This record gives sequence, C-alpha cells and structure tokens, in this order.
Amino acid sequence: MDRRAFGKKRWWELGYEMSELVRLTDITKVYQGGVTGALNGVSLAIEEGEFTAIMGPSGSGKSTLLNLVAGLDRPSSGSVTVAGSDLGRLSETGLARFRRDRIGFVFQFFHLLPNLTALENVLIPARLKSRVSAESAGRALMSRLGIGEVADRYPSRLSGGQQQRVAVARALINQPTLLLADEPTGALDTKSGDQVMALFAELHQEGQTIVLVTHDPKLATRYAARVISMLDGRVIDDARLETTERKPADVIRVRSEEPSR
Amino acid sequence: MHTRNTYCVCVVGTVSLKYGVLGLLAEEPLHGYEVKNRFEAMLGGTWEVNIGQVYTTLQRLERDGLVRPVGSRGDRGKLLYELLEPGRTALNAWLSAPDQGPQRLHEEFYVKLLLATRLANGDLGPLLARQKRAYLQLLRDLNQLEDRAKRDGRNDLARLVRGALLHTEADIKWIDELSEKNGGGSWDTK
Repeated sequence: MDRRAFGKKRWWELGYEMSELVRLTDITKVYQGGVTGALNGVSLAIEEGEFTAIMGPSGSGKSTLLNLVAGLDRPSSGSVTVAGSDLGRLSETGLARFRRDRIGFVFQFFHLLPNLTALENVLIPARLKSRVSAESAGRALMSRLGIGEVADRYPSRLSGGQQQRVAVARALINQPTLLLADEPTGALDTKSGDQVMALFAELHQEGQTIVLVTHDPKLATRYAARVISMLDGRVIDDARLETTERKPADVIRVRSEEPSR
Repeated sequence: MHTRNTYCVCVVGTVSLKYGVLGLLAEEPLHGYEVKNRFEAMLGGTWEVNIGQVYTTLQRLERDGLVRPVGSRGDRGKLLYELLEPGRTALNAWLSAPDQGPQRLHEEFYVKLLLATRLANGDLGPLLARQKRAYLQLLRDLNQLEDRAKRDGRNDLARLVRGALLHTEADIKWIDELSEKNGGGSWDTK
C-alpha cells in the first residue's frame, strides 16, 4: 500500500520539492464580526512522514489552520499547497476531489451518520471515489483497527472509542496522503483515547504523515516529534524535539540538596 | 584525619540518602556497596550516588548510634552494617512525617523572567518560547521514561515519573498563561 502514489506518478516526480508535503505561505484568515480563530500571517512547511502537533489555547487559530490544510476552508490571503496542489487554484469541485483523495480527517465528535452502519460510514469516501465496491477493504481495515466485530452495528450502539475508530477507518479508507485530526481524543475517556493515539503512532511508523491539533502537551509530546505552538493567530514556536532516549538521571532527579544536619 | 575541610565534605549529604540507607538496613545488614547498588536500583537510575557518599553517611550514622558494623571485615575488606533500635525509631519517625516546606520553583527561570521584564521592555516572547520548548522536550523525555518503566514492569518508577510529568505540565500551563498575558509584547508587572 503506497499512500503517496499519485496516479502513475508520485508527487515528487512532478517536479515538486522532495519530501515537502504541505506549504503555507503568509496565510491570513479574517472572520467577520470577530477575531476568534483568525490567522495573522502564518507560514510553515510540513514534510512527508512527519507527525506534527499543533497546540494553542482555544481561539488561537489551530483548528482554522487545520481546516485550511484540509481544503475545508479557504484563506483570506496567502497560499496553501498540499502535495503539489495549490488549493487556491482549485474550483469547488476540484477542492472536493482533493479532500476525497488526499485528506483523511478525524473530528473530536466523530461525525458519523446515525442512519448508516459503521461499515457504511467507513465506505462513504470510497463510494464517492469509485463505483467499485470497497467493502472487503473496509472490513479488513476495520478488523485491523479492532472494530471488525461491530462493522454492521449502527453508531448509537457503539462506545465513544469504537465510534472514533470507525471515524479513523473512514479517514483512512482512501489511503490519504495526509491524516488530519482535530482533538481526536477530546471526547474520549483516557483508555479509549490511548487506543486511538496508539493507532496513530502505528500509522506514523508505517510512514503516514499526520497533523494533530490538541491542547494537551503530554499527548502532543508523547506522539509528535514536532510541536507547533500558536497564539492569537500566529505561530509563536515551532519545536522539533529530540527523540533519542535519555538516561533516567538526566530526566528526573530525585534529590534534595539540603545538608542533613 | 578529620581536618576542617574533610569534615565539611562529610556534613554535606542529603536527608533522603540518610533515611534511604536506614530503610535498606531495616531489611537486612548490608555492605556499603550493596547499599549503593540497592539504593540506585530502587530509584530506577534517577539518582546515581557516589560510593564515598554512602560510606560517609554510614560513618555518620554509626557516630550517631543509629547503625553499627557487625563482625570483622568481610568481602573486599568491607564492613557489614546493621540497623540499631534508635535507627529504627528515627526511620519510623521520618516515614510517618509528611513532606513539608514551601513549594519549590525553577528559581533561575523566575529570576530571568523578572530581569527580562525590566531589561527587555517587557517583551518576554522569546524567553517564554525557549522555556516552553525546554519543558516540551522534558515532557517528551518523561513520556519515554514512563513507557519504558511500564514496559519493564517498574510501576514504582512509573509513579515517580507520573509525578514529574504532572509538575512539568503545570510548568507548561504557567508558561502558557504568561504567554497569553504577554500577548501584544508587553508584560504587565503590576
């Protein structure tokens, strides 16, 4: 399974700079009637295979940024390029096709259709893409995510963790170039949240590029080696963290320096 | 032998090492190097102690009548030490007393913060961003250590790491609050 295949050519064979998957240039986003979530001059690049976390308080623009990368929204000015496509040059139809083929999106509140079974939810993006049935691929994917047994149930009969894994399966069914997740564990208990994140870590190990929006620094640093901090619509820090393991004594010091008497 | 200088080295020890030694001797009599090895293993490598420190601690405990050497010099000419009743009483008193005292903060960062507020016209953005990056790195390292401890079945160490994680999260929250107040570029000192 090659997530990076672009028809017969791979995107880096299209004359695009190697390994850069996303480029935002001087992005602004103005909302009428308020500044919440607005963006004020954001430029950044994301490389293929990176696991990036975007952190910031609510209203800092982190979700807006994710929506622009996903092609769910357009910037007021500046350009968004994903896998060689300048999203600003795409028509609404072109943008819909881009989302369908390149982007997997996981929301905080799952967004499953209640009148479809789990499997039917997973298959929606595949049905939009092709008439060939993807049912066996959908079932295989769901088994891999540990929800094979609930494939024919309706969302209301699933736990939150199961519903989110269905949403992850739906995001992955078309083998997206980019997996985007906006607070994917925000509505889950700790255990289900850990399971969903362990899944993301596994996908990342296999080369999946992931951008995660979260307000939780422990979650961000546990899974992502790059942490972008946002405040008031701007990037205030872009940290690439060291991933080598350190000696316990270099991480924690259990020691008081007081003289004993 | 006990010149003023060596005496100074002797008295600078740590409270927890002293009681750590007493606690380990409460299980069974031990040689100094056994105390060192068991102490380090108990702390999961988060505290590396100098063997010299262990011996000075043992000598001080012997001087205070809390432990005593037993038998003659054994393996590698080292003495076996055992816990005495006053030592057990001191250990129990220490174990039952809560850890008290003022909250410890990262004082160096705080002094930097105060000075930068005066010297950099209140623009603390870069200082805060660098500090947050350092805390994020620490958080990542702690995450790894926690995973490793759990993998190794060291739940005692995992609990210790969990405490450090929560402290670091609080530090990050603090930096975030300072950053939000810093906002447009000035930090109100009032």
